[in-house]
Amino acid sequence: MKVSLFITCLTDIFYPDVGKNVVELLERHGCEVDFPEKQTCCGQPAFNSGYHKDAKKAAKHMIETFEHAEKVVTPSGSCAAMFKEYPSLLKDEIRWRERAEQLAGKTYELTQFLYRVLHVTNTGATLQGVATYHTSCHMVRLLGETEAPYVLLSNVQGLELKELPNKQNCCGFGGTFAVKMSTISEQMVDEKVEHIEETEADVLIGADNGCLMNIGGRIQKEKKPIKVMHIAEVLNHREMGGGDV
Amino acid sequence: MSSGNVQNQTTFLNHVADRLGRERRTTVNPPSYFSFPHQKMGKEADISELAKVLKKQCLAIHTDVREATINNLREVIDQVFVEYEAITAAVWDDPRFHQFGLDSIVERPQVSVWGEEPGREANIQAAEQADVGITFSDYTLAESGTVVIMNGAGKGLSVSLLPTNYIAIIPLSTLVPRMTQATAAIHEQAEKGRRLPACINFISGPSNSADIELDLVVGVHGPVRACYILVDDLKKEKKNEHETN
Amino acid sequence: MAMKIGGRSFDKRAEQGVRDSYMRETVRTAQERLYTNKSQAEEELGDWEEWRSLSEKIRSHTVDNLDYYLERLSENVSKNGGHVYFAQTAAEANRYIQSIAERKEAKKVMKAKSMVTEEISMNEALEATGVEVIESDLGEYILQIDDHDPPSHIVAPALHKNKEQIKDTFSRRKGYQKTSKPEELTQFVRKKLRREFLEADIGITGCNFAVAESGSVALVTNEGNARLVTTIPKTHIAVMGMERVVPTWEELDILVSMLCRSAVGQKLTSYVTGLTGPKAQEDVDGPEEFHLVIVDNGRSNILGTPFQSALHCIRCAACINVCPVYRHIGGHAYGSIYPGPIGAVLSPLLEGYEDHQDLPYASSLCAACTDACPVKIPLHELLVEHRKVIAQEKKTTLGETFAMKGFGLVASSPRLFEMAAKTAPALLAPFTNKETIEKGPGPLKEWTAIRDFPGPKKERFRDWVKERNKGGAE
Repeated sequence: MKVSLFITCLTDIFYPDVGKNVVELLERHGCEVDFPEKQTCCGQPAFNSGYHKDAKKAAKHMIETFEHAEKVVTPSGSCAAMFKEYPSLLKDEIRWRERAEQLAGKTYELTQFLYRVLHVTNTGATLQGVATYHTSCHMVRLLGETEAPYVLLSNVQGLELKELPNKQNCCGFGGTFAVKMSTISEQMVDEKVEHIEETEADVLIGADNGCLMNIGGRIQKEKKPIKVMHIAEVLNHREMGGGDV
Repeated sequence: MSSGNVQNQTTFLNHVADRLGRERRTTVNPPSYFSFPHQKMGKEADISELAKVLKKQCLAIHTDVREATINNLREVIDQVFVEYEAITAAVWDDPRFHQFGLDSIVERPQVSVWGEEPGREANIQAAEQADVGITFSDYTLAESGTVVIMNGAGKGLSVSLLPTNYIAIIPLSTLVPRMTQATAAIHEQAEKGRRLPACINFISGPSNSADIELDLVVGVHGPVRACYILVDDLKKEKKNEHETN
Repeated sequence: MAMKIGGRSFDKRAEQGVRDSYMRETVRTAQERLYTNKSQAEEELGDWEEWRSLSEKIRSHTVDNLDYYLERLSENVSKNGGHVYFAQTAAEANRYIQSIAERKEAKKVMKAKSMVTEEISMNEALEATGVEVIESDLGEYILQIDDHDPPSHIVAPALHKNKEQIKDTFSRRKGYQKTSKPEELTQFVRKKLRREFLEADIGITGCNFAVAESGSVALVTNEGNARLVTTIPKTHIAVMGMERVVPTWEELDILVSMLCRSAVGQKLTSYVTGLTGPKAQEDVDGPEEFHLVIVDNGRSNILGTPFQSALHCIRCAACINVCPVYRHIGGHAYGSIYPGPIGAVLSPLLEGYEDHQDLPYASSLCAACTDACPVKIPLHELLVEHRKVIAQEKKTTLGETFAMKGFGLVASSPRLFEMAAKTAPALLAPFTNKETIEKGPGPLKEWTAIRDFPGPKKERFRDWVKERNKGGAE
């Protein structure tokens, strides 16, 4: 299947390794990965801040960029949800709205695509360790995807998954919220880290680099011995040096 | 009954219509609802199943349950009196007390019948000083453990409210699955243009509050304890049916 | 007490909330308990989403036809012998209520919990005319005797106080001598207020729902105080926000079921009381006189706008009980008697942006509120809608407007995006320590005060793709 990858700006600039894992993972499951070079940002920062005129510019550009795609896959529930917001953002411009609807209809978050479209339940990954999974708000509530990451992670060989207490609570990222309301955001991320520690996991897994940048940044600042991994890195992970050739 | 005053209606409602961007509406088509989940609940249950649901729910709402036949109802009530260390009682002026063989309770000097004393204050006073208030249930909602009572005239509001304890006599024939059946009956009255009782109570157990640290305290301004006595009033009817057959 | 509570800026209030460890512990426990209870209650109903959709439909139909249903309601109340007063403003509502108190020569008014009476500052208006107003809901009573501390939650108004603090208030103000056990505190109030109920001249309640077809008012309570208030005093005044109407008892069934489950996880509260006042001739107790005051107070301004669904709210507080922001700052930080997500949506609509402009930003847009709402109000979308209005009216800082203009430009031009992404590493290089940024410049400062920021990598993902494709072509 031909898949057009929307890598997201955070992954492009700050987490290129996650991007590489996404490509390998998709290829491993028989996808031909296309990367439209003109892609920029989904426009969520402007949209969420109320600058919808500016967000529309980004939206139209992305609609054009991905118009040729059969399926669009992105390693972020939040950015996928933004694509799905385009039709309502452009509701007053009928032609654009129709094009937006087409894009929204063919867009999938990575794990959602693997599980729901390719019907993959086991990616053949191996990772020794105890991990906990952070459910990102937009993936769960805006995309309604509650199953895919759990199914895929449950089949990673060697991985013990611990339930994260109060997993329904936001980590405090929220884009500009993290800097605009930093006092509150700090309390939220602190509580999140507290709960992660309660699980005694060595690895925190998430499916959205926004959340991971926030939680991971706090973990790093506090020098906690917890490794942070994007789910693509986990699902594409193979044990090294096992001699298993 | 003379009509009450309605003030500022026209200006107010014209303004509302204006804000809604249209003329005032004098007719509205009733909404067409596409689903009726409330009507499905408990639809298949027979009386004994409903009684089971009711009894289970009573555990959750801190309500005592006793079962009686018409023959031993009086004794069962007296046992509850002993348990609650109750002597005085306030009861409705309701023919069902006679039908259920409770004349001997109603006639006791420690029992005051609503409306028996002249004047509002004296009746309220009597109820306020009673250890127990007793009413019959008009509809009994299994799901929520609720006694629905239609107050009015000899059926004073105060009887189920002011005494320290409350006993509801629940003929099994009053059992329905949930609020839906009771409100449907009330709706039917309203639709026929009948004036409803000035007060209809849906009572589910004793009064309670969780206003302090969300800790549940049973017994606040209303009764501190509540007891439902389920009376099997169906057996006799069944017998009659057989006889007539 | 008007809607607005507390002075100072939002930031200061939020900081104070964050520092209040008692309050935070209580709120945290409460949220977790309510979350469990509500989830259970949802499950018991079967298809929760079906119930939500039905409820949404009922609310939107009613609000779309509000003039019609309010007319039917008022005609039916009047037919039953009750009086109806339509009040455009808080002042009009208060003047009417004062005039009843005056005519009845009332000395004592007993009140059940009601948010709309808080909103219009009714207590202060009555007290100004020399009438004593006693709050009878346990939570409201606690706040009233503690120098009118404002409510911090629309269902559990005294949620910010722990039992020790409540015990202290009781002993200081009312000579209470027992322990801080909630049972003992509650028994004390029961005894104390019984007398007051029997002596009150007027009972005042809010209105959870008014049923248009019969002119009835439904009150959803647990303590029994609202029943006392509407049974003993000879006059009952119900005050309702104009949107709280339902067409018939059949819709009342659905909405009451949703309200009880969403608010406290109960199937039904201990008392759901349907009042079709005043009392009939042959009735012995119950009010001889009944007044329904229907309040606009800014609500009509919401009609016909993108915010109309905010009027569908049934005040269950489910959004508050799941809000991670509320969790850490508590209700008072919102500076409004309506806190949490619904408060952040409603307060600027009812009272204007001036006092409440920060509220729409006090959300990470995690959508927990939208998900929890039993009538499907898209709360987080309405918060974004507020931000849109604020941005359009240029009430944001110039810097932000400029930055977002720049964003639009960059995000719609691959060339500029490329440039920005390329310059970022160079600009951030002086602050980058190994792979991360511990102390960032400009807006990054707020970020790095709390968390490290990833340093931009030398090779971006797209560079890798380019290289790889080249390799593949070779």
